[in-house]
Amino acid sequence: MPSPLRSALRFQESGLVLVILALGVLLTVFSGSVHTPVFAVGPEGGRQRVFTTNAAGEQVPATVERNKFLNAQNLAQLAKDTSFIAIMAVGMSLVIISGGIDLSVGAIYALASVLGAIVLNHFGPDGTAASVPPWLGVTLGAGTCVGVAALCGLINGGLIVALRVHPFIITLGAMAILRGLAFVVTKGQSIGGFPPAFREIVRYEVGNGLSLVPLGVMLVVTFVGAIYLSRLAAGRRVYAIGGNELAARFSGIRVERVKLGVYLLSGLAAGIAALLSLGYYGAATSGDGQGYELNVIAAAVVGGASLTGGRGTAPGAVLGALVIQLIGSGIVILGIDQNYSQIIIGSVVIAAVVLDNFNTWLARRRLARQAG
Amino acid sequence: MPFLEFHHLTKRFPGALALNDVSFGIERGTCHALIGENGAGKSTLGKILAGVHTADRGEIRLDGRTVHPANPLVARQLGIAMVHQELAFCPNLSVAENLCLGDLPRGAFGWVDRAGLHDRACAMLAAIGSTIDPATLVGTLSTGQEQLVQIAAAVGTGARVIVMDEPTSSLSGGETRELFRLVRELKGRGITLIYVSHRMEEIFALCDAVTVLRDGCHVATESVAGTSPQRVVQQMIGRDLLVQNPRHLARSPDTELLRVEQLASPGRFSDISFRVHAGEIVGLAGLVGAGRSEVAQAVFGLDPQATGRVMAKGRELLPGSIHAALAAGLGLVPEDRKRQGLVLPLNCRENTSLAALPLLSRAGWVRRAAERDLVQRYAGRLRVKTPSLETIIASLSGGNQQKLALAKWLARDCDILIVDEPTRGIDVGAKAEIYQLLDELACEGKALLVISSELPELIGLCGRILVMRDGRLAGEVPRADFSEAALMRLMAGLAAA
Repeated sequence: MPSPLRSALRFQESGLVLVILALGVLLTVFSGSVHTPVFAVGPEGGRQRVFTTNAAGEQVPATVERNKFLNAQNLAQLAKDTSFIAIMAVGMSLVIISGGIDLSVGAIYALASVLGAIVLNHFGPDGTAASVPPWLGVTLGAGTCVGVAALCGLINGGLIVALRVHPFIITLGAMAILRGLAFVVTKGQSIGGFPPAFREIVRYEVGNGLSLVPLGVMLVVTFVGAIYLSRLAAGRRVYAIGGNELAARFSGIRVERVKLGVYLLSGLAAGIAALLSLGYYGAATSGDGQGYELNVIAAAVVGGASLTGGRGTAPGAVLGALVIQLIGSGIVILGIDQNYSQIIIGSVVIAAVVLDNFNTWLARRRLARQAG
Repeated sequence: MPFLEFHHLTKRFPGALALNDVSFGIERGTCHALIGENGAGKSTLGKILAGVHTADRGEIRLDGRTVHPANPLVARQLGIAMVHQELAFCPNLSVAENLCLGDLPRGAFGWVDRAGLHDRACAMLAAIGSTIDPATLVGTLSTGQEQLVQIAAAVGTGARVIVMDEPTSSLSGGETRELFRLVRELKGRGITLIYVSHRMEEIFALCDAVTVLRDGCHVATESVAGTSPQRVVQQMIGRDLLVQNPRHLARSPDTELLRVEQLASPGRFSDISFRVHAGEIVGLAGLVGAGRSEVAQAVFGLDPQATGRVMAKGRELLPGSIHAALAAGLGLVPEDRKRQGLVLPLNCRENTSLAALPLLSRAGWVRRAAERDLVQRYAGRLRVKTPSLETIIASLSGGNQQKLALAKWLARDCDILIVDEPTRGIDVGAKAEIYQLLDELACEGKALLVISSELPELIGLCGRILVMRDGRLAGEVPRADFSEAALMRLMAGLAAA
């Protein structure tokens, strides 16, 4: 076997890449095609439909036949949708590698969204502080959104460390409390009316609707997460604690401090995703991010993070998010009832973990045979 | 013919032969002691009888019939029960529920018959003369009471043979007397008892016969009347020394590096004072439960309840702070490498550099080249055999794992090293290499405190040996006076011969 191919196969995430390619091929083959209208840039700048003459000599809108899945628009949307989940999945993978779990990411996302939205609304066109320069308003709004999320994560970590309660319980409680807070501050209303400049930045597109900002932020977050985990001493400590907390303590690692850090970063990641959604959708409600914890944990786990701790990577989490999103998108494209998506995602998570256990078992048996 | 016979029993665990062709017999209605040093195979023998382990070869004959206790349930049906030291019962259930767990009395609709349960438990407890309330939760019982409940369960289910593994190791004086009374009464009823212990005085007070095991081999089975404590100690010891003349002894100990004064921890140990100098290997001996590892962890700042003073290189350490200990140049290779020493899912490189990370990183970034160099240097020096330093450490042999657990602290450049059970569960070749390494480290001027259950190891390696018994220092023996017999007597609390 040629060596580049072999090293590519040895690459930790190669299995996931294969799964993603297989899903892509399946969706391309089974999705069928659609006729979509053709647009062109008109003389005045705006997009205009292109007309053509048919066999009977009439002017009709031009259409082109395209694959339902494999077309630029669909892929651009897939990239955008994946970005939100992937950013949170990178934060979640830190928590899971440390041997913990964070069920509150969806609720943190909602609370950060609505509090950020309230601030941005003040500085928006109809707000009480519309005269303030937009850059200041946007900075304050973004700072609120991300800061609130980081603070929520820090409180999660602080309670887990100080009360010595299992993270499942603390973040389960936080999930309900933060979601409730988001509802109380908004009274259930949707909040919009942000400074237009903010929305223009986040919605910046190239080509056939490819949003560069969410995608770019996701790539940056993934890169930072990958560097943190693989190159920084702090990341090494996260693996050590997840792999064996007692041995980490015996090696002089300040276990409590590291735990505080991972929950803070998980909250921060949820805040960044919330900020992007504010800009992209232009409004927030307390119901935002409902059920995200399932998708985010699923992404991290499918991406190779082990719930027993000590294993996982940031790029893996992103690829896991892509798998989850591909499944969701596939359900839409193949015309399957939306309600099946939860069932399928849940099954995929269980299948991923069972496969992983099977793999570990195989490896252990091989070792035992070598030793015996 | 003896009531219970072992014929050529052999049991191999990965890396160690726990029992090697053991044959002897036990008479009905006697209390038979099994004695030997740590790792001699006495617990393994008891567990094979009780169905916890199965023997690789050999057979067991009970009352003339060959039996195969394949699991604890089968053993129970054969009338063999074991009294465990811990975790034998569900602590969240009551005494009565635990006693009848396998066969709960049932009433209408399959509901548990509470009155029947209570009556049956009372009868079982009364059979051994115990007055424990059956409604008590097992979790709230003392160790002694829990043992009594275990015995009640054994007697109540018709046990003919009861194996007791170190029954008095955590009992008070009163509880011990109560247990002894019960053992004598059970003997009177024709029940055969196997008493696993290394407490000489108990064996000679209670038992009728004693079997000595050494390194998994049967040494002797004699009646208590026909032997003496001195003779039994002689039979227990006498293993080969792997190290004879360590080079560090040629140097005279240098400056004092570690001084421990009046170290105490409630319920664990008290009044521990000793010093270790540069270039010296000091041994710390004691039976299991004497508090050796607890002292090591307290010196290293891992015991928040510890009181007393620990001074490293003349500076007093903040009590209960592992970071103060690390900053002062202390390192601890813990007793249980899989639980405390290594992060098994990580690779060799990451494990070895774990304690040295602060030295290897600049502004939070791990300097990868420096890390690789450092790990390579120590893995090379310790002759670690691994396919690569990126291999997951869980896949290495015990000996190589232990070498890396040591390398971790060498990589941090510790001057004071506490090594707890440095050769547990590793093969002979690796043992010799570790002894040589410890000797070299002492020659380089490091101060070493070595804790071990294997006396030959300490006798070969150390300049002097501290002996602990029941949480206190029982004495200090200089190299000139080293002998297994003398140390064993100190450990077991016997008067000098």
